[in-house]
Amino acid sequence: MVAAKKPAEVRITGAKLPPIPLPTNCPGCGVSLDHEVLRRHAYVCACGHHFRLGADAWIALIADRGTWKERYGDVRSHDLLNWKVPKPYQVTLDQLRDEGLNEAVRTGTCALGGREIWLATFDFRFVGGTLSIVAGERLARGMEQAAASGLPYVLVTASGGARMQEGVLALMQMAKVNAAVGRLDVARVPFFSVLTDPTFGGTAASLALLADINIAEPGAAIGFTGPRVIKQATYADLPPGFQSADFQLARGQVDMVVPRPELRRLLAHLLEVYP
Amino acid sequence: MTTHGRRPDETTLTVWQVVELARHPDRPYSLDYIRRMAPDFIELHGDRISGDDPALAGGIGTWHGRPTMFLGHQKGRSLKERVARNWGMMHPEGYRKAIRLAQHAAKFNFPIISLIDTPGAYPGAGAEERGIAAAIARAIMEWFRIPVPIVAAVIGEGGSGGALGMGVADRVIMLENSIYSVASPEAAASIVWRDNTRKVEAAEQLQLTSRDLLAMGVVEEVVPEPEGSARTDYEATAVALDEALYRHLNQLLKQPTDELLQHRYERFRYIDSLIQAEPHFGPKI
Repeated sequence: MVAAKKPAEVRITGAKLPPIPLPTNCPGCGVSLDHEVLRRHAYVCACGHHFRLGADAWIALIADRGTWKERYGDVRSHDLLNWKVPKPYQVTLDQLRDEGLNEAVRTGTCALGGREIWLATFDFRFVGGTLSIVAGERLARGMEQAAASGLPYVLVTASGGARMQEGVLALMQMAKVNAAVGRLDVARVPFFSVLTDPTFGGTAASLALLADINIAEPGAAIGFTGPRVIKQATYADLPPGFQSADFQLARGQVDMVVPRPELRRLLAHLLEVYP
Repeated sequence: MTTHGRRPDETTLTVWQVVELARHPDRPYSLDYIRRMAPDFIELHGDRISGDDPALAGGIGTWHGRPTMFLGHQKGRSLKERVARNWGMMHPEGYRKAIRLAQHAAKFNFPIISLIDTPGAYPGAGAEERGIAAAIARAIMEWFRIPVPIVAAVIGEGGSGGALGMGVADRVIMLENSIYSVASPEAAASIVWRDNTRKVEAAEQLQLTSRDLLAMGVVEEVVPEPEGSARTDYEATAVALDEALYRHLNQLLKQPTDELLQHRYERFRYIDSLIQAEPHFGPKI
């Protein structure tokens, strides 16, 4: 009889999360928010409301402290289609870069509970986390590397879909990244997807829901067409909770709905189970 | 180059006029082409899971002496047929049917022709409830594994992920007055300005005409349409489309399967490299 291995202590977050802008009161329960308390709880209110995190916070949350190695960060977007309205796309890109954001997807390698992985995380603050040429390129390269090296691939999504300002080339990123998911699949590399609020359009209809295990955050809205467009197109009354994480769980699209403070422990466990 | 003496880049139409031609109710639809190309076409139905999607027609026909799998969005001509066909907007069952028929084609080593003509996947509650996002995602991934040649042609509207779900192929060509876009001009205007009446401006920004896509390297060829567009001469358009599709397919039939699949992967993997190398080629309007 071998005693069960005592699971290593896995903290809620790998490193201290960066401060994020928060409203004074929780939109979930109305209580006034204490930033430091929230930060220690991975920005989840006691009522269960999950605040949206940017890529920097997700990296701090998932990666073991000091292990993050960003890759392909120098691959940058440009205004390729001369997009001028409502404001020039290049101006949008430059402003976001001045705010310290580096595209809608960041990717790299890190450790999680001591196990080396590839991590890619969307950032909703960068043009709504939209799938762009650079986002697609970073995702595809990372997945190709993961497929070649056998490192498990962890994805965190928060995206409105494909980026309008890059036209049909943004649409083509769905094919590019799904082709790469196929490579991960053939290589039998574990692929875990964490779907956060919101995950829609071309991101939901490409790699987000194709993982070996799909994990949704409580309250996350996940779907293809947004509720506003559905109402416009079909005059349908959508019931409360339509396209929520629980809705997708009930309809078989995600394996589980996991609160953020339990996510890291779950991922660490999965990485032990899946070779 | 063309039998009609007019090259596609000599068009004088505005972008919005092209959008209207692409959506014209008298424009030939997939079955108009398929029945001309393969008069013995037999339609096959169903995803073998839960339903059949009439927005996608699919089946087998003999084409240039070879059994061929034809798939195509079908919009419907009369109001009754439009409702039945759901204006060519597919539900999850349609994408599952497409992959079932593609795997069926692969089993018997039949090449596949996919004709694209859809405003997009159906933006309704039922499609969401039955997992439209995952259905499109899975279809896109599976197309990369289908071990027979695939040639796709945009014959009218190539709208968003709903079109791409049928558009992963070894070659993709477009009829001259067709469009292919990340979102419909109305949807793009709604996203950019929250005002879908600014569709003309959006269309001009999106670079969605066949010439734009050819210049970007997203499609291999633009097939010229007769004077007055495809709706004025179904027969001539079908002959031109047939010729172009077969010319591409014929090259693909000679390729070993592993090479075919590797090229298909690379086609989409490096699809943006042309424009990356040549920034600011800008709208031509």
